[in-house]
Amino acid sequence: MLGRGVKRKWSCLEDHVQQRQLVLGLCLEKLQRCQAGVELSLRRSVLLINTLRQIQEEMRSDGSDAQFDTPLDAADPDSRLLRCDIPVTCPGCAEGDKEGPSPPSVLPSLDTNSSPSPSKSLPAATHSTLSDAVNAVGYLSDLALDDIFEDIDTSMYETSDLVAGSFWPVSVSLWAEEEVKVRSAGPASAGTLQSCLMDLNELDHIMEILVKS
Amino acid sequence: MNLYINCFNRFMGCLGYLLNSALSLFPADIISTVEFNYSGELLATGDKGGRVVIFQHEQESKNRPHLRGEYNVYSTFQSHEPEFDYLKSLEIEEKINKIRWLPQQNAAHFLLSTNDKTIKLWKISERDKRAEGYNLKDEDGRLRDPFRITSLRVPVLMPMDLMVEASPRRIFANAHTYHINSISVNSDHETYLSADDLRINLWHLEITDRSFNIVDIKPANMEELTEVITAAECHPHQCNVFVYSSSKGTIRLCDMRAAALCDRHSKFFEEPEDPSSRSFFSEIISSISDVKFSHSGRYMMTRDYLSVKVWDLNMENRPVETYQVHEYLRSKLCSLYENDCIFDKFECCWNGSDSAIMTGSYNNFFRMFDRNTRRDITLEASRESSKPRATLKPRKVSTGGKRKKDEISVDSLDFNKKILHTAWHPKDNVIAVAATNNLYIFQDKIN
Repeated sequence: MLGRGVKRKWSCLEDHVQQRQLVLGLCLEKLQRCQAGVELSLRRSVLLINTLRQIQEEMRSDGSDAQFDTPLDAADPDSRLLRCDIPVTCPGCAEGDKEGPSPPSVLPSLDTNSSPSPSKSLPAATHSTLSDAVNAVGYLSDLALDDIFEDIDTSMYETSDLVAGSFWPVSVSLWAEEEVKVRSAGPASAGTLQSCLMDLNELDHIMEILVKS
Repeated sequence: MNLYINCFNRFMGCLGYLLNSALSLFPADIISTVEFNYSGELLATGDKGGRVVIFQHEQESKNRPHLRGEYNVYSTFQSHEPEFDYLKSLEIEEKINKIRWLPQQNAAHFLLSTNDKTIKLWKISERDKRAEGYNLKDEDGRLRDPFRITSLRVPVLMPMDLMVEASPRRIFANAHTYHINSISVNSDHETYLSADDLRINLWHLEITDRSFNIVDIKPANMEELTEVITAAECHPHQCNVFVYSSSKGTIRLCDMRAAALCDRHSKFFEEPEDPSSRSFFSEIISSISDVKFSHSGRYMMTRDYLSVKVWDLNMENRPVETYQVHEYLRSKLCSLYENDCIFDKFECCWNGSDSAIMTGSYNNFFRMFDRNTRRDITLEASRESSKPRATLKPRKVSTGGKRKKDEISVDSLDFNKKILHTAWHPKDNVIAVAATNNLYIFQDKIN
């Protein structure tokens, strides 16, 4: 039935690309959609992320990333996503990640590294979305208690942090603010959590693109 | 010989226990596990609200010789309560994920029940006598001053109405970081295993403050995590052997004699993927949702999203039998992914003689496969069919082409009505089917 000429094949291919976009979009949506306060199924998250990886791989190998590249790049120079090199792995914050001084705390508001930790300036809403999304991948769920308490920091009450603290109540759009922060912090200081946020940020962009396309 | 199919056709809806009215669909009433005990005399269900309901088989009545006897409620108790994990700011659901009976040793019955984090050992015992005649307390129930008790009085046992008590005997907590998906009592009757997404622990039934971690697949760097444990079970006869299944569609058989930590499996069961049916959903649908040893211990059965496979423990490279449960859904995978049904965890069970297997589907349909004749049947758990003496009619889903009379089209299946949990009586042709918040018990017709 399929072998009826090039046109048919092309439409098959198009169908495939279309389905791939649909699956990709849903994948991201499912990973981000979170139920506040309830631990998500690790099985589901792992399956979704593996699916994302598979799609990413496929897009990379058939170079379909290029076709979306230009317009988006122009619109937002920060969006690496379009090149399809989103670290789909996990929104960043793996335990044992050597980059950050410590895994992101379950209680980011108590996070206490004296080094510039992005979590200090997290808007509350960002935090909840982030931790949910991260929870979805299971990262926060296995923190040793020691880590949590080690991280408790009183520096959040210090005046130097007040500026960052002012972000807290105002978060209307999670990602917009996040961008501000990421840029001001500069890529050099990006810790685990920050890269995590960037990744999520990028996922969000991909979603937007997919939804609009 | 298609004796079995005849039996199935004659499977009779004798009871339709509507635990709750179909009109009041409280989420807490949704049945989350069903399990017969070793003799089949008791049937336990667990629900989303943390309750355990036990049904007992009543003896045959002379008035209704066509029935083997009904199952009536024997005991109901609250096994788990909702909790809150303050460190993680997460709720711990009270939902009962699994129930496993212990072999009966004395007049009392014991079962293990688990939610996501905590396993409990319950004792269910009967009391029909009461000790009376104590003189240690006054009429208000207050203890009397020992100096004022001048005579020795021996209490006497007085008959009373039968009371069934469920009491928690052991609580096995704080050993699982992830969600417990399986518990399985070992054939030594002294130990059991509990599995979560990344680890399997071995417990002694008497010891609650210690367990041995026998499998740990958690990578040092969680970014590298690509696979989770989906189910685990002890071998029915060899207490050193257990299996666990994974989200990648593989099964590992481990021998606890080989090493204390069974990170290295003894056998690895995997069927090569058919490249022609590859899709974006290949991995999701190959994820194994249940694994069960046959009673004989020679085979095991695995359930993935679209099929049931029977594996011979002596052959690792492919299953000896594969049964399609609802192959017509293959073309619908995208919508099933969209509505999250593709992540549903269907369970499966063997009949008492290992000659037939059963598993659930959507639209309140469940499937039975006769291993000898390779014939299969689709039945529906509905209130209609649960009227006494009503015979279950086979149902058919039309797969492409013109829909015949009595067939139901794939598009009209109700994906909210799913049968995830079923149980088969260990000796008789009696089955229990959980359909959302209803429990159906069907039995084979007796001539």
